[in-house]
Amino acid sequence: MTRDELKEHILKKYDGLLTPLETGVFDLMFEVKPANLTNVARMLRDDEQLKFDFLNNIAGVDTGEQFEVVYSLSSISNNLRLDFKLVLPYDEAVVDSVKDIWTAADWHEREIWELYGIDVNNHDNLKRFLLPDDWDQGYPMRKDWDAPDFVRMPEL
Amino acid sequence: MAELRTEEFMVNMGPHHPSTHGVCRLILTMDGEKVVAIEPVIGYLHRAIEKICENRTYPQCSPLMDRFEYVTAMATEHVYALAVEKLAGLEVPDRAEYLRVIMVELNRIASHLIFWGVTAMDVGAYTPFLYGLREREDIMDLFEITCGQRLTYNYIRIGGVSKDIPPEFVPKCRAFIKKMWSKFSDYEGLLNENPIFLVRMKGIGVLKPEMAIAYGASGPVLRASGVKYDVRRNDAYSVYDKFDFEIPTQPNGDCYGRFIQRLDEMKESLKIVEQALDNLPEGDIKCKVKPKLKPPEGEVYSRIESARGEMGAYIRSDGTTKPTRVKLRGSSYNHLMLVPEIGTDCLIADLVAIFATLDIIMPEVDR
Repeated sequence: MTRDELKEHILKKYDGLLTPLETGVFDLMFEVKPANLTNVARMLRDDEQLKFDFLNNIAGVDTGEQFEVVYSLSSISNNLRLDFKLVLPYDEAVVDSVKDIWTAADWHEREIWELYGIDVNNHDNLKRFLLPDDWDQGYPMRKDWDAPDFVRMPEL
Repeated sequence: MAELRTEEFMVNMGPHHPSTHGVCRLILTMDGEKVVAIEPVIGYLHRAIEKICENRTYPQCSPLMDRFEYVTAMATEHVYALAVEKLAGLEVPDRAEYLRVIMVELNRIASHLIFWGVTAMDVGAYTPFLYGLREREDIMDLFEITCGQRLTYNYIRIGGVSKDIPPEFVPKCRAFIKKMWSKFSDYEGLLNENPIFLVRMKGIGVLKPEMAIAYGASGPVLRASGVKYDVRRNDAYSVYDKFDFEIPTQPNGDCYGRFIQRLDEMKESLKIVEQALDNLPEGDIKCKVKPKLKPPEGEVYSRIESARGEMGAYIRSDGTTKPTRVKLRGSSYNHLMLVPEIGTDCLIADLVAIFATLDIIMPEVDR
């Protein structure tokens, strides 16, 4: 399946659940509503023509205006690649866990919970692991967080 | 006589245990010699590379990438450079791509030699460590005459490579390849049939293919479980589609399979370097890159096959000179998740073998 065929297949079969975005410069990029996440994830994994069984990465992003959570998937058996993202306003920073669907999501979700303060529903092991256990200075990957000795580089 | 009381107890393995290959602490719950539960504690090497990148320009981030995974620093530079080139739409000259492939594959061999040595050392054989480091030294010399560095190279830059290879590189590299081919019989004769070694490795830490995929295991670990998947072939980047090489696999997914897997992969890497040297094109080593590189708005997840597995970089640009977000994906992160899964219910000595054959290194986990 080529990239265009994949896009066509998804637009036809998942109409309204995955909205294509133009920001993905290499692989396909879609937007998914946070409420549909587990539903879409399970369908992408179980669809025989797609079979996205491998979760490459989950990246949290703070754009300065909102949070985004980017999921990168690939299919080992059908050799496909696809990205999708959730857009979360600052005051609704909650995602559902996809740990049941891809076990690999476990630590990636812990990481966005710990470093961005994005809450993860239905995750049984939300414990600090990259930061010290007694950390109480907020969420370091947020754009408004600066370390005490931090010097912002001048714009070149 | 009164009945003897038994109870589980806790053992702290690490953070400075020599077999944890970095600073990783495993909290083990033990029932005698048997491991009942494992909890990895990480974060001792966290250097906030991703946060620092958000305050640097794109070319300034490049040297930081060496520190992300310093055993195969060439691969880390490569994945970052590929991601930025995709974002900015840069065309890299062919010669630069060939030089990158040569360096990354040599670095893969160097990494596997360390793996081979330390894994043998972890299960009690010291000689392979000395043999492995001896051959690795030749590779380090090749890197040194090319870019002056032995560990953190900063050689692969956005748009190409920093320097062309010196004239003596090609003959020296060919001599190394010839020497390396002759060493495999030594390597295989040392351990592969050793009865003590077989008892320590065969059937230990079995990883089923379905579980490997669910946990996001990649690279030699995935292939040793029988899944024929290699990013160099399945999602060919750079010039890997021009080389002829095999993707070896192992059927059992145990420690022994993962050990043999990497010996086989070294041979394939040698084949790639040979072909790259034969077909090395003339030309530029770098395309024109503006000093104030401003990739247009967009995002990309680029991935490569590093020595440990799939290495990825997610980069988000908002059209300024600095990235909005750089997320680095190291395969050790996923492989460390596997340790509690396949290490439970084995002996503590087997856990050392499992940890070693997954080839986890900690800077890649903590970033």
